[in-house]
This record gives sequence, structure tokens and C-alpha cells, in this order.
Amino acid sequence: MPKYELVLLKNMAQPGYTGSLEAYRQAGGYAALEKVLKERTPADIIEEVKKSGLRGRGGAGFPTGLKWSFIPKDHKGLKYLCCNADESEPGTYKDRQLIERDPHQMLEGLAICCYAIGAERAYIYIRGEFDLGAEVLENAIQEAYRANLFGKDLFGSGVNVDVSVHRGAGAYICGEETALLESIEGKRGKPRIKPPFPAIHGLYQEPTVINNVETLANLPHIINRGAEWFASIGIGKSTGTRVFSVSGHVKRPGNYEVPMGVTLREMIYDIAGGMRGDKPLKAFIPGGASAPMMKPEHLDIPLDFESIKEAGSMLGSGGITVMEEETCIVWAAMNLMEFFHHESCGQCTPCREGSGWVLQILHRIEQGHGREGDIEQLENLCRRIEGKTVCAFGEAEVGPILSSIKHFRAEYEQHIREKCCPFHPNATLSMVH
Amino acid sequence: MSSRITLKINDQEVTVEKGTRVIEAAKLAGAEIAHFCYHPKLKPDANCRMCLVEIEKMPKLQTSCSTEVSEGMVVQTASEKVLDAQKGVMAFLLGNHPLDCPECDQGGECQLQDFAHQYGAMTSPFGETKRTFEKTYFGPLIEKEMNRCVSCLRCVRYCDEVIGSNALGSMNRGSMHEVGAFAQQELDCEFCGGCIQICPVGALTSRVSMFDYRTWQLKKTETVCNYCGDGCTLTLETVDEDIKRVSSETGVGRNGGDLCARGFFGYGAVNHESRLTRPRIRLNNNDLEVTWEWAYQTVTDGLKAAIQTHGPKAVGGIISAQCTNEEIYLFQKLMRESVGTPHIDSGARFGYINAIAALTDVFGTARLSRYEDISEADCLLVFAGDMTETNPITALKVKDAIRNHKTKLFTVAPYHRKRETYISHLPHLATQHTEISMGSENAAILGFTKAILEGTPSPHTPSDLFEKIKFAVNGISFDQIESATGVSEQAFKDIGAGFANAERGLIIVGRSILRGIEGYQSMLRLAELSILSGQVGRPGTGILALAKESNAFGAVEMGGTPEFLPGFQSLKKEERGYTALEMIDAAARGEIKALYLVGENPLRSLPQKRVAEALKQLDFLICQDLYPTETTALAHVVLPGASYAEKSGRFTNHEGETQKIREAIDPLGNAKPDWQIFSTLINKMKTTEKVPYQKLLGYASVDAVWKEAVMAMPQGWPVLLGSKMQESLAAYAARANVTWLAPEPFVKNGAFDLQVGQSLFHSGKMSTYATGLTTLQDKMMVLMHPEDAERLEIEEEELVQISVEGSDAVIELPVKYSKKLSEGTLFISEHFALEIKKMLPFTTDSTTGVPYGDRGRVSLAKVRVST
Ligand SMILES: Cc1cc2nc3c(=O)[nH]c(=O)nc-3n(C[C@H](O)[C@H](O)[C@H](O)COP(=O)(O)O)c2cc1C
Ligand code: SF4
Ligand code: SF4
Ligand code: SF4
Ligand code: FES
Repeated sequence: MPKYELVLLKNMAQPGYTGSLEAYRQAGGYAALEKVLKERTPADIIEEVKKSGLRGRGGAGFPTGLKWSFIPKDHKGLKYLCCNADESEPGTYKDRQLIERDPHQMLEGLAICCYAIGAERAYIYIRGEFDLGAEVLENAIQEAYRANLFGKDLFGSGVNVDVSVHRGAGAYICGEETALLESIEGKRGKPRIKPPFPAIHGLYQEPTVINNVETLANLPHIINRGAEWFASIGIGKSTGTRVFSVSGHVKRPGNYEVPMGVTLREMIYDIAGGMRGDKPLKAFIPGGASAPMMKPEHLDIPLDFESIKEAGSMLGSGGITVMEEETCIVWAAMNLMEFFHHESCGQCTPCREGSGWVLQILHRIEQGHGREGDIEQLENLCRRIEGKTVCAFGEAEVGPILSSIKHFRAEYEQHIREKCCPFHPNATLSMVH
Repeated sequence: MSSRITLKINDQEVTVEKGTRVIEAAKLAGAEIAHFCYHPKLKPDANCRMCLVEIEKMPKLQTSCSTEVSEGMVVQTASEKVLDAQKGVMAFLLGNHPLDCPECDQGGECQLQDFAHQYGAMTSPFGETKRTFEKTYFGPLIEKEMNRCVSCLRCVRYCDEVIGSNALGSMNRGSMHEVGAFAQQELDCEFCGGCIQICPVGALTSRVSMFDYRTWQLKKTETVCNYCGDGCTLTLETVDEDIKRVSSETGVGRNGGDLCARGFFGYGAVNHESRLTRPRIRLNNNDLEVTWEWAYQTVTDGLKAAIQTHGPKAVGGIISAQCTNEEIYLFQKLMRESVGTPHIDSGARFGYINAIAALTDVFGTARLSRYEDISEADCLLVFAGDMTETNPITALKVKDAIRNHKTKLFTVAPYHRKRETYISHLPHLATQHTEISMGSENAAILGFTKAILEGTPSPHTPSDLFEKIKFAVNGISFDQIESATGVSEQAFKDIGAGFANAERGLIIVGRSILRGIEGYQSMLRLAELSILSGQVGRPGTGILALAKESNAFGAVEMGGTPEFLPGFQSLKKEERGYTALEMIDAAARGEIKALYLVGENPLRSLPQKRVAEALKQLDFLICQDLYPTETTALAHVVLPGASYAEKSGRFTNHEGETQKIREAIDPLGNAKPDWQIFSTLINKMKTTEKVPYQKLLGYASVDAVWKEAVMAMPQGWPVLLGSKMQESLAAYAARANVTWLAPEPFVKNGAFDLQVGQSLFHSGKMSTYATGLTTLQDKMMVLMHPEDAERLEIEEEELVQISVEGSDAVIELPVKYSKKLSEGTLFISEHFALEIKKMLPFTTDSTTGVPYGDRGRVSLAKVRVST
């Protein structure tokens, strides 16, 4: 029995729940959509969502109602909603479950959002590797169309909403909202410069909202149970529940839905069953690969946007990666950097060039060829990337590096001094570039 | 609301237009900000991150190239934070760079080199393992050295945003990012060279001029291109007397710094080894190289002899419309005054005269529309489906209008909409394209006229003209028009209404009309169409006729045709001399005995047999040219003229814009600027004494000639469409003879309709001397639709035989597929072989005598390979 009341994962936790339209409706699905279409104005819904305190679950935690309110009301042309289902952040796999196991929950949320912002067209941009998810969504959409839950004149309200699935092609950067827009437009997925922001010039230069899967999935519940109920869960400015993906050296990795604000200690030692082999904890990443690393001394920090930020990291995508004592931090940082180097879109100089150099230096330290001054060089390189790039990828890629140096400098120094990795003495790695 | 914004940059106040970007404002404030991806022609992309600045109230540094100024903004461009960030970016850019400046063609004018010096040492700061790419090539003309690339995407963005060719793109990610031809195919773009020019470093360079120079050796001369009537300003860059390359400056000239392949890669024709460089005379059947003194004497002796024996009218002259205004003026002066003959014609006869004569007839001037009008128009009606090929930069203006000014484009041409290479195809970009049967342009004009007449004709149409048009159209049905053009009544009505009801509508016509059958009448009918639509006499309206030659407009204005004295003074019928072809025929009859050809080769441009027969009858043939031709081989005197790069003067482009050309190098060998040759001859014709020719030049400079030419124009210069338009229109309305004949139905009989036309990569014969251009195209191919080819089982590159009904001549050519051609049509570009022209039916315009021989019905068959 889970310790906390499930909201988003509730349906799928029922034995035999199939996620079909019928099953979802039996569980009360699409009542929220009917209600808003019949009884509420778009402005009303935006107000309600603002009151609920819902913040984006994709990474940045931007207040959802506020984001919607930037969409120009008197816009003549089309407006769009793009659901971000690109979930590519290493260590994060919650959207995948929300899609595969209960697709109508997010579809209902998507329709509610479309109505609220006046968009008649929605795209779900799904990560290319999610074959099953795409298939499930396609089927769910067909079911919903047949039941006239999408298409024209929903519930006789005169409101039209069309939705389709757009599959990614394997680039992490397409999760960044403007790269995602480029990709839907059929172009190379690379982030746009901002301003203009998508709310004004988004997909095909029209006003566009981009929301994460989990963000949308919360909407039916906010409508059904009210903003006050939602706001009562969690702490401070972090309301509602959050589905955390726990991975790494824990006994029970997996997705766990908990109210915002539980502590990391509870998350790791209680909910995820504790450390694998009961080994001591060395470090953890609280919010996906781009969140700076934290140390055991941070275990009692609550998992909410503000507290984690204050502690120098970020809640990000909710992917918690746990590392035990025998993990080589340099190796871990290098591993993450390999990912970022591979995924840099290559558009802007600091990220394109910097990621390669950072990785090259990490490689040589890990292989025992580190030199004096390499740590400073790494810090220097990161400083030249951070804050100087087109998109937030720049901050993302330096986060793990700078934090690992900050918390584990001695380990880096040991690598260099001893001319070998204390954990992987025989490391041989291929060259970068 | 004020559109001016005041901000502070490095404590200095500046006021700039709203919408200005910080980098531009800083420049005005005297603070140059280092940059790579920024370019005034391109939309901001802010990818290089070099131009970061500090802006008060913004926590992060901002890219000054993408940030617009706002009121009260406070900017620091050189604070410690900024310099540190810029140093960081610079270090990143140099990190993977090969630092091979000494062997890079960009060395000396490289932004990376310049800014690196500004920010410290040129070394690679991080590690030893640099990323490396193999050197490759973008097609035959462009070298790609990606190790030098800074990934600023200026090349890609220029190709997309300016040229609209979309041939380039980004490949790979992260530090392996490189630019490449889209889909990694062989590049088949417009080869405008823009990517080479806009690349801030040496990553893209021209293969034509590789390792030929160091940039600081180059002398630069700004002049005007001579390959078409667009009138593009370009810079010839020379070392001693050799043109090494061409460049153009952003924003400069009618072209705003954009060029086409001919302008950018076509300079090699000037220094070509086959140029004529010494005067030659034919003496006792021998060719003798002689001094200019001797050559001049021979010319004047020959001309005087002809005048004495047969009278002045036994002399004729034809001059190329690629000569300057001054030269054409002097040549007609030599003919009309010194010799006393009315027989003077020019290259404008090959079509452009149809436009000038018709437009001046109706409006009193041919200066109706300029490039600015293309941008200002809401709607363009274009009878030039091949505009990218014939007039690439005017086509660029059209593309710019539809992209950036929301202008509607209606194209009318015997092409499909389809574009298949990265060469822009206007029908492909059109709001609506009307595909007509080949040769039915005239019937299409009729269709639009009828549609607008029955729709909402302009109330300002002079009533007598309106009645005449109505009467002429009366009795011709849309069914008849449809059977000729293949276009429905509805389409004519839709487009006709779209054009006539536009706020500002502009017509553009190209060679399909000017060199189509009865082009003069077609131009009159188009002029009437523009009046009927109310689309003339205001900004963004009128008619722009596209010129093939760089000075076709000027050739007529300077008096280089029999019907006009300088300044478009129209001569009465009986005062007019012969047109080019009439001179040839008069020579055949023995009426013309001496002919002076300047840059004209009638054996190529007119029916060859007829010309050959005629030339044989002449007593005296003078050829002044750049290269040896079929005709110079027959001449009694050959004078080496100077190309546009070796002389000064003026060209008037097809907008009627007169621009200076400037001498970049000395004339090759003993060649002379043509204007000097003419003015010496004018003076020599006057005197019987022996005076050294150097003393006979007469004019101090081309400017003195120009002054005299302008003085010779009684209406003043230039004549613009102004208050006189109404007067002129009224007179035209009163005398107009509007006739429309029911169009002949277009019957397909299984044969092919062949069109001979221009290639984007060539202009006449001259361009075929430029290796840059022959690399792109050096042979004649016949284009056909792949479906036709499939039906006849013809593979690409396979040889086919083409023959014309009623003639047993056959030519063999390789086939190239083209999906833009309509099925049942063929296209051959004209630059390489004469044979095809010899086979096609030949007619002339009943009013202007313009020769027509570009189209015909042919049959096509596989070449049977005997085994
Ligand atoms: C490099 C990068 C990758 C991202 N990847 C994702 C992703 O996979 N899924 C996602 O929902 N948001 C991702 N984001 C965040 C989105 O840009 C965007 O903020 C989010 O989709 C907005 O939705 P929300 O407000 O509902 O969170 C990414 C951001 C960056 C900078
Ligand atoms: S920061 Fe990296 S991922 Fe983002 S735009 Fe720049 S190169 Fe692309
Ligand atoms: S080739 Fe030149 S213009 Fe193109 S991206 Fe590289 S540096 Fe920029
Ligand atoms: S050929 Fe024509 S379009 Fe091309 S550069 Fe010369 S003048 Fe311009
Ligand atoms: S010039 Fe501004 S980012 Fe490149």
C-alpha cells in the first residue's frame, strides 16, 4: 500500500486497469473535460490553474496558469498546444509510464488546455524511441475521436480540438521547447533564440503553449477536485504531487508519486527501499542528468522547487539518480558529459566547442593522464559555457561537472596525482572529436 | 509615436531607429562589437555568441546582434565581464581551428584573424586533439574546408533567406557540426557565390581563383556587370592586369551586393587567351597584324571609297548592346554624321526594341518601373517563367517581394510549377501559376484583357481606347482562348481580377514575349492591359521589360537603332534606316557595300546561310570585337575592342538606371576602348590630311562624350513617366489601332515543341570563355520531361536526334531530364551550338523587324546504335 494518496498513478495502480477509453471513463475520465466545456469559460480555467499553483513538470517548473495567460486573447490566426513527451533526460522515465499506462488522462488534460488557451490544434511530440508509447497514444486518440472526445464540436460546445502524434528522431535537444517546435515544423531540431517566446511566436510563428505530459495529466484532477485541493498538497510554492523516477544504487528503482516536499532521505531510504547492498550513499542527482549533484549532507532537504534550488541544484525533471560509495565521481561526470557532448546541437559556440574540450579533459583525467591545472581548466571551460549559450543546455551540461568538482575535488586531485583512476585502474577510452 | 529610440552605449548617448539591433547602434556610437554570425542582410541567429554585451537590468550577458534597442537601455560593450566572455568565445573558436592562415585564401580579410588579434594570441588553448574534417568540395566551384568553419551558418542562412535556393544545411551535431549540400548530394544550386562571400572565414572559397593571390595584393575597382540587363554593381579585384576574382559589397548598387553565377564566376572571359589584341587587315588574301595608324587608315579609306562609289547609304553599322552609352552614341554619330547613313542598328534589335518602341509609343517613355516598384507592388504579373535564368537578380527582387513584402505573384509561362534542382523557379514560388501552351503568350494576354474588360476595368482608361479594346476583343470567346492556351475562363478571370483589383500591380515581361512572335504588338497589348487595370503611373505599378544585354536600354536611348535619334527622338518611317537583318538583305542585293560590325556576329545571331551569302557580296567588312568569331574570319579589317573591365563609360539597365562602369585593368595587348576607336574615326573621317591618330581622339574622356550625348537629347535626360503620361496616353488612345485576332488552337500532333533559351550559367557567347562558368556548363543538352523520355525509352545523358519537319538537317544531343518542362516540350540553351537555330523556322516582326527563331516543332528520336 503506498504511503501517500496516488493521483496520477491511481488508475494504473488498480489491478487489471487497461488504460482503454472504456476503463478510463469508468474511472470517471473525461468528466472534467465535459464540465469545462459545458460550464466554464477559458478564462475561468486559467484562473483555476493559477490558483492551484501547478508548475511545469518538464524541468523548469514554470507556473502553468501564468504561461497560458501569455497567449494573446485577440489573436486572429491559429494557436497551438504542443505536449512535450520527448522525455530524454537520463534517469527520467515518468512520462513514458503516464503515456503507456493511462494515455487518456493526459489526453483529457491536453483537451482542457486547448480549450483554456483557445488552441484548436495540438501536437504530442513523443520521443522517437517510445515505440509502444506512440502506438498506445495513436490508439487512444483514435478511440477518443470515435467517441467525439476530439474533433469537432466536443460535447456540443462548438469547440474543436484536433490532436496528432509527432515522433522524434532521437535527439535529446528536441525536448527543449523551441527545438521541439522546429522539429515539428520539419526542420533540424535546434533551439531558437528567445525572445520572441513561443507564447507569441511559436509553432509556425503562431502563439503556442508547450507543456509536459505530467503537467497536462494533472489538469483533469484540478478541475474535478478543485484548485484548493491541489494547492493543499505539497509545500510552499510547490503544490500537488510529483512522479519521481528513482534510479541507480537503490533497492527498488522505479516511478513513485509523492506529494512535493518529501525529503530525499524518505525518498531513498523509505520509498525506494534504501541503498542497494546497504552501502553508504556517496552522491545523488535530484532532478535529471542536468541537475547538479548533491551529497549525503543534503538528505534532509525537501523535494520542492525552492529548497532544492537553494541547496544549489534543481528539481528539474524529477529523475533521482543515486550513487553509492564505490562510484567514481570523475567517471560519473565523464559519463554524463559523454551524453551531453553527443547531444549538443552544435548551434552555439560555447556549447558546441566547450562540450568537446570538457569531455577530452575528463577522459584524460579518468585515464590517468590528467595534468596539473586540468581541474581549473575544467572550471574555466564551464564558466565560459554557462550563461552564454542559446538554450539552457549550456547550464545543463556544466551542472554535473561543476558540482562534482565542488563536492569531490579531492577525488579529481587523486586521479591526477596518482595518474590513475582509483576505481577503474585500467580505464581506456576512445578519443573525443 | 516616435520611432526613434535613445539609449546609452558605454556612457555615450545615441539615438537610433526603432528596431535597430544593439550591435548596429553600438557601431553608430563608435563601438565596433566583434561578431561572426551577425550580418546586416540576415535575420539574427545569435549562434556564435561573440557579440555578448552587458545590458543593465539583465542578469545574463545578451547577444547584441539579436537584441533590439529599447528606450533608456544602458549597454556596456567592453566591461570586464564582456571582454572575458568574448575572450572565452574566441578561445573556443580557435580551439579547433587549424590556424593555417598562410595557406588560406581568406588570409588578410578573415574575421577570425582580425578579432583574434584583437583578443590576444592566435593559439589553441585547450588540448592537442583537434577535431578534423577532410577537405571536400561543394560541386565544381566551391572548396569546403570545415576545419576553418566557425559554424556561424551565414552561408546557410544567405542561401535560404536571400537567394531562396535552400541548397545548404547543417549536418551532424556538436563539435562535428558542418555545413553541407542538402541531403549530401552534389550541389546543384544557383552558384551565386554568395556563400563564399558571406563566409567570415576561409571555410568556403572559390576553386576558380585558388591560391592565385594574397588578399592584400588585390586592387579593387567598382563597376557594373556586363552579362545581363539587371545592372549589378560588382568589384573587380585585380593583380596587375589580371582579374583574380569578383566581389560585391553589401547594400551597394541596384543589386544591393547580391550577384548571380555569371557576375561572380564569369570574370575569366576578360583575360582569356583567345582575346583579339591587335588590329588586323586583310591584304591580298593575307591576314596582317598592323598598327592602329594603319588600321584606322584602312577603315577610313574603305568607308570613304564606299561612300564615293555608292553613296553614304551603301554603308551600315551594327553595334553590340554590351557597349557603353558613350560608345553607342559615338558609333551612331560616326554612321549618321561622319558617314551620312541612316543604317545603324544594335543588339537591342534582338528583342528589346519591341519593349522600348511599344512603351515609348504609348507612354512617351520606357522608364516605367524600377526595382523599388517590385518591392512596393502588392501583385506581380510575370510573363517570364525563366527569369532566374535570364535575369537572376531581378528574380531575386521578386523573391524578396513575395517573401518579405507579402506580394502576390502570378506567373504565366509554358512550364510546370515543379522545381527540381536548387535553382529557383518562379512558377514554383507563385501564388498562382498559369501554365500555358508553348507560344501562346499572346493569347494569354488576350485572355487577361478580356477578363478585366468584363470584370472591373479601370475608370481612368481613356474612353476611346476602352472602346477600341472592346471592339477588338468582341467576338473572340474564352473557348477559343482556352483552345490556344489551355487555360480556362475562370483562371483568366481570377488572376485578371486579382491583378486589376490589387492596390499596386506590376507587369514583368521577359524574352518569351520580347522574342516571341510579334513581340511589338504583344507589348502594345500589355501596355493596354496595364492601362485597363489601372496599374500604371503610380509607385509599385507599370511594366518592367527584362533586358538580356547590359546596355539594351541605353543602346536605344543613345540612338543605336534606325527608328530613334538619341533621346528616343522617333524618326518618321521614311527617315529610318535599315534594321540589322535588312542591312544583311540589302548587302545581299548589292545595295549595302560596307558594313561595320561592333561586337556583333550575325553569322550566329541571324539565319546563317542568308548572312553568309550577303557578307560575300560586301566590298568592305569591318569587325570590332573581343574574340575571333565566324564573322571576324571574313572581315577586311579586325579591330580589337576592350571589354567592360578595360574601359569606362555608362550602362543603362532595364530599369532605365544609368550607371558608371570603370576601368579595372588596361586593355589587353593593343586593344582599345571602343569609344576611343569611334572618336578617332569620326575625326579621321573629317580630314584628308595625314594627322597622327593620337591627335584625333577629340574627347578628353568618356564624360565629355556623355555630356555631348545628353545635350543631343531635346527632351532632356532622363525622360521619366510624369505629367506627360496623360498627354502621351491620350495621343496614343486617339491613334491606336487595337487589333486582336482569334487565336489559333494549339494542336498537339505528337511532335515536340522546342524552345531555345538562356542558361543561368551563360550569357551569349562571351561567358563561354569564362572557365568558372564552363565548369558549370560546357555543352548543349536537350531538356525533356522524364515522362516523355520514359515513353520513348530514353535515358538521361543518352544521345537523341532532333529534326524539323521539312528539313533534312538532324542534330544529335544528349538528354537531360527536367520536371519543370511541360510534357511535349523541349528546351535547349543557346550558348554552345548554332546548328539547332539553323533548323528552326525564322520570321521577323512586322513592325520592328525583330528576328524570331527560338521556337519550333521538332521530332525527336533515339539514336540507333549500330552493333
Ligand atoms: C536541453 C533541454 C531538454 C529538455 N527536455 C525536455 C523533455 O524531454 N521533456 C520536457 O517535458 N521538457 C523538457 N525540457 C523543458 C522544456 O523546454 C519546457 O520547459 C517544458 O516542456 C515546458 O513544459 P512544462 O511547463 O509543462 O514543464 C527541456 C529543456 C531543455 C533546456
Ligand atoms: S546550448 Fe548547446 S544545445 Fe543549446 S543551442 Fe547551444 S549548442 Fe545547441
Ligand atoms: S562555412 Fe563559413 S559561413 Fe558557413 S557556417 Fe562555416 S564559417 Fe559560417
Ligand atoms: S549577369 Fe545580370 S544578374 Fe548576374 S551579376 Fe551580372 S548583371 Fe547581375
Ligand atoms: S554575432 Fe551575435 S551571436 Fe554571433
